Amino acid sequence: MRNPYEILGVPSSASAADLQKAYRKLAKKLHPDLNPGDKTAEEKFKEVAGAYDLLGDAEKRKRFDAGEIDATGAERQQQHFYRDFAGADDGHPYTNSAGFGDFMDEGDAFAELLRRSQRARANRRGEDLHYQLAIDFVDSIVGTTKRIILPDGGALDVKIPPGLVDGQVIRLKGKGAPGAGKGGPGDALIEVEVLPDRRFTRDGDNISLELPISLSEAVLGGKIRVPTPTGDVTMSVPKGSNTGTTLRLRGKGAPRRGGGSGDELVKLKIVLPKSPDPELEAFVSNWDVGKNFNPREGSAS
Amino acid sequence: MIMTKQEFLTSSGVQVQTLEFWLEQEWLIPERTADGMNFSEKDVARARLIQDLKTDLGVNDEGIDVVLHLIDQLHGMRRALAQLHVELRGGQA
Repeated sequence: MRNPYEILGVPSSASAADLQKAYRKLAKKLHPDLNPGDKTAEEKFKEVAGAYDLLGDAEKRKRFDAGEIDATGAERQQQHFYRDFAGADDGHPYTNSAGFGDFMDEGDAFAELLRRSQRARANRRGEDLHYQLAIDFVDSIVGTTKRIILPDGGALDVKIPPGLVDGQVIRLKGKGAPGAGKGGPGDALIEVEVLPDRRFTRDGDNISLELPISLSEAVLGGKIRVPTPTGDVTMSVPKGSNTGTTLRLRGKGAPRRGGGSGDELVKLKIVLPKSPDPELEAFVSNWDVGKNFNPREGSAS
Repeated sequence: MIMTKQEFLTSSGVQVQTLEFWLEQEWLIPERTADGMNFSEKDVARARLIQDLKTDLGVNDEGIDVVLHLIDQLHGMRRALAQLHVELRGGQA
């Protein structure tokens, strides 16, 4: 091994401060991690570091100067530098492609090669995949599980939460495209369309329903069956109900976020029997109060 | 070889507070697991680099931030270059 003073390029009379200065100057140039592609840097750095290990230690330097020890063994042990690991293709978050991002934005073949190399190596989360699903109105209120068959033959089970609204997007974590490196898979995003229902319409948390009733139910009142998304219920129609009378079934609407439910609003509609009934006609023609009642009175005519 | 936080502290000689600071600065990003952190040999080598920068080269904390950022970019580019090399020779990725 060469003379450590020579290696550091200082005279043997150099002060400790000069030694450190000389060492730092060389180490900055030669540190293997600052020269990842230079194979000779490591050898040179080891030599310099070994020399400084010897001379930077006042006690060892005194003994070396006195000839008690020589420079043998002052060379540093085999050491693994960061650069030995940084090149490994394990998709670690340390590696950063910002340094050539501008080249990748180009449209030429070189940029394409760079992009491909980045895709192959980067620690990337998989892409989110988008799907569409149409469900029945009733399912959107009570919740259900639907299965989507994927183009590749796989299937996704989608849990429809009760009270889902048209256009709502359901995220299935980790069901998207697989990631690269340590990046996890993306998510599946399912946009759910709620098909219109011929009976129910939705307004916020409430559900509206137009329900036909007979003339006798309207005049005399009575109990009738009313459909709700969760099944039929019995409702009392009060005596003297009219077309347009709206009755409220509490808690039979869509579930609210955070508990509770909206209501079902039942709008009554009086429907006469399909074929004219002579008995009814006879009654109405003799019914003076009915004839004298003008429902348009007071409204613009 | 995978190390726990304790094993990492022992083998690298780094103080706990120092490690906390490095983690906060994201100079080290060990793998997080349910029961703590896993340090790889790569993390140990990177810790040694940080120590070299600090003690041997006299770089202060601000400087270390800059150096690590540039080194990470450099390795990113070196990888891309290596990949390009493979592609240009018509080999498989």
